[in-house]
Amino acid sequence: MTLYELLIQPFADYGFMRRALVASLALSLGSAPIGTLLVLRRMSLMGDAMAHALLPGVALGFLFGGFSLAAMSLGGFAAAVAVALAAGFVTRATKQREDASFAAFYLIALALGVLLISTHGSSVDLIHLLFGTILAVDDPALLLMAAVTSVTLILLALLYRPLVVECVDPGFLRNMGGHGALIHGLFLVLTVANLGAGFQALGTLMAVGLMMLPATAARFWAAQVWSLALAAILIAMLSGLVGLLLSYHLQWPSGPAIVLVAGAIYLLSLAFGPREGLVWRVLHRHSHKAA
Amino acid sequence: MNCSRRAAIASMLAGSAGFGRAQRRPLQVVASFSILADLLRNIGGTSIEVTALVGPDADAHMFEPRPADARRLADADLVVVNGLGFEGWIDRLVRASGYRGPLIVASAGLQPRMVNGAPDPHAWQSLACGRDYVRNLHDALLRLAPTDAAGLQSRTTQYLARLQTLDQSIRKALDPVPKARRRVITSHNAFGYFAAAYGIEFIAAQGRSTESEASAASVARLIDQIRSQKAPAVFVENISDPRLMARIAKESGAKLGGRLYSDALSAPGTEADSYLKLFAHNANTVIAALQTAQAS
Amino acid sequence: MTAIAISDLTVAYDGHPAVHHFSGSFERGSLTAIVGPNGAGKSSLLAAVMGRLRPAAGQVQIADDLRGRIAWLPQQAEIERSFPIAVFDLIALGHWGRSGAFRGLDREQRQAVMEALDRVGLNGFERRSIGELSAGQFQRVLFARLLLQDAPVILLDEPFNAIDARTTADLLTLVHRWHAESRTIVAVLHDLEQVRAHFDRTLLLARRCVAWGPTVEALHPTNLAKARQMAEAWDDHAPPCREAA
Repeated sequence: MTLYELLIQPFADYGFMRRALVASLALSLGSAPIGTLLVLRRMSLMGDAMAHALLPGVALGFLFGGFSLAAMSLGGFAAAVAVALAAGFVTRATKQREDASFAAFYLIALALGVLLISTHGSSVDLIHLLFGTILAVDDPALLLMAAVTSVTLILLALLYRPLVVECVDPGFLRNMGGHGALIHGLFLVLTVANLGAGFQALGTLMAVGLMMLPATAARFWAAQVWSLALAAILIAMLSGLVGLLLSYHLQWPSGPAIVLVAGAIYLLSLAFGPREGLVWRVLHRHSHKAA
Repeated sequence: MNCSRRAAIASMLAGSAGFGRAQRRPLQVVASFSILADLLRNIGGTSIEVTALVGPDADAHMFEPRPADARRLADADLVVVNGLGFEGWIDRLVRASGYRGPLIVASAGLQPRMVNGAPDPHAWQSLACGRDYVRNLHDALLRLAPTDAAGLQSRTTQYLARLQTLDQSIRKALDPVPKARRRVITSHNAFGYFAAAYGIEFIAAQGRSTESEASAASVARLIDQIRSQKAPAVFVENISDPRLMARIAKESGAKLGGRLYSDALSAPGTEADSYLKLFAHNANTVIAALQTAQAS
Repeated sequence: MTAIAISDLTVAYDGHPAVHHFSGSFERGSLTAIVGPNGAGKSSLLAAVMGRLRPAAGQVQIADDLRGRIAWLPQQAEIERSFPIAVFDLIALGHWGRSGAFRGLDREQRQAVMEALDRVGLNGFERRSIGELSAGQFQRVLFARLLLQDAPVILLDEPFNAIDARTTADLLTLVHRWHAESRTIVAVLHDLEQVRAHFDRTLLLARRCVAWGPTVEALHPTNLAKARQMAEAWDDHAPPCREAA
């Protein structure tokens, strides 16, 4: 098989492959920076929680509107934001910490979602909602992804300093009158929006994968916030590309293929990444700089 | 009165009255899925009460039993399943419910199609097999509710006749379509028996069950196949992802031919809420698509 | 002239008062140390002055021209040191008060950052990640940020806790510089010798004011003994407080 046949032809020949690629690139651009910030803020599992929190909203949207993009997206978005607000409120009003309150509410939301689907829909619908397929992305879904990505990038660029300060020295932000709670809330909303856009293509389970795995791998390549985000974006895009090619050549289901490629890149980064990769640490155990 | 004497008196009464209990209360039958339930209702009439574990528009491949299902089984007089590996969950459910009554396999004695070394369970997609199912169910009901033997017999005969008539009308409608043009695309390969019965080729995007997620390879192959034929139609089932089918149709230039019902009836009051209606609907939908394909 | 006036301030945690009916004022240009036993409410008082804690009762009044121009030195633990931010960027935040959250830095401002680095003795550290710094180096970074903020009122929360002697000495020099520039400085401290050597006014706090005045008087042994007694009381079964100012 020539290189062309291996890498280019699948996309040249099939519209659905091109769309899937564009969709995964769009998702990468928006989700990866968010994932980077989640990792830096030690909220890595939060992404997973928010993805599950989407479910009852998506279920309700589905029950009322079928596979309608608008219904499911709005529903999912509303549900996840509700969970975030509830958890945030509990964290501020009581002694409960953020991770515990999030865990409580997202689990409630998840069970509610499964219950709704099981009693009013069918288990098939549940599987499709949980897994989705990037091969079926249509124009409205692509537009949604593009819109969410654009808004995300613009907001991240605008709010870069407050976001970073809110992570590293929230006290300073507060003293500057910087509306830390608002920033935090806005960040969560962006996270939910990206997960919402992603779940149409990859399902709730896999959308988190594309958000978090590249971000966790990036730290073995970069040291600053902006370069971490960039590395994460590139890794995510690469995962999309290679995952789709694997799905094409080896007949693997597309969603899991993409996320597993991201996982493989993570493992490779862990071992060989230029920053604290395990292999280098073992090799350089006995050497240090001159000064 | 102690237990053994009570039992003796009861069996005497039963013997003399000839299943008096069954006459007072309809036979409680639990069918594994909606199609079997419909068959049972048609031949059993008022002497039985049927419920289905996997209802309309639901997928038996991914059914997850609930406590209510176990209770229904425990109270049943008869349980009917499809067999051929269709209900992967039934053994566990029977054990869990403690049901010890008769379990009838509707496809007993059938020679199934084999796909990749395993039997294809969707035998009801052939009317000839459907008639075998009906005969099996008739025999089972006869054993358990012999008082209504006459009614059972007449209802069964009538139903079998209707199945026969349907089959003949389908073949007649298909006649003008040359064998070479009989090709159809679906999302899930549940129509093997239908395909074999009427000489139509069914090509599927996914594997045999809905559990498998589509790979880019299978979608690409499907699109290739569609393009190389002359305007065939793509069918969406009531238990698959319509978005994927829509995408395939759009890219390949095929038409969305309509819905096919593979593993379940549709909701009551809709177009495929009985076995006869389901089969007729499927056949008409396919024939319509083939006729259009032929015409262009 | 008063910089900060406090009247009948009570700051409570879970209903229990950490600062109890405290009144007093800080004069402009004063250099005051706040000392007291553990649990005396020192950091809480400072936080209430800064506006970080809402009082359960009473109020804090900042002079009009000083409002919004108070700089705060946090305890190191409050800052996420593992975050990948460079020393330069952390110090540069000192400009926030003047240029806001969104504008980039011009050449003059960048120069100011480098000068601040120089003054705290961290030449060449600008690109280092804050996670790579020792406690002493990091404290210098925080002081550099304070320098940049150029605020007339500076509050320091335990600035020399677990910091090496050399750094402490260097930073104390800075504090004296600020005092010479007529800035109002309040610092929570633990080392009484340090206080005696460098701070001319001391507030001895044990939830309530025990002594407030010139250091020599405030840190008289009788006051210290009294403070120790007063601070330890934490009664779960205490009745609601009915005291007025």
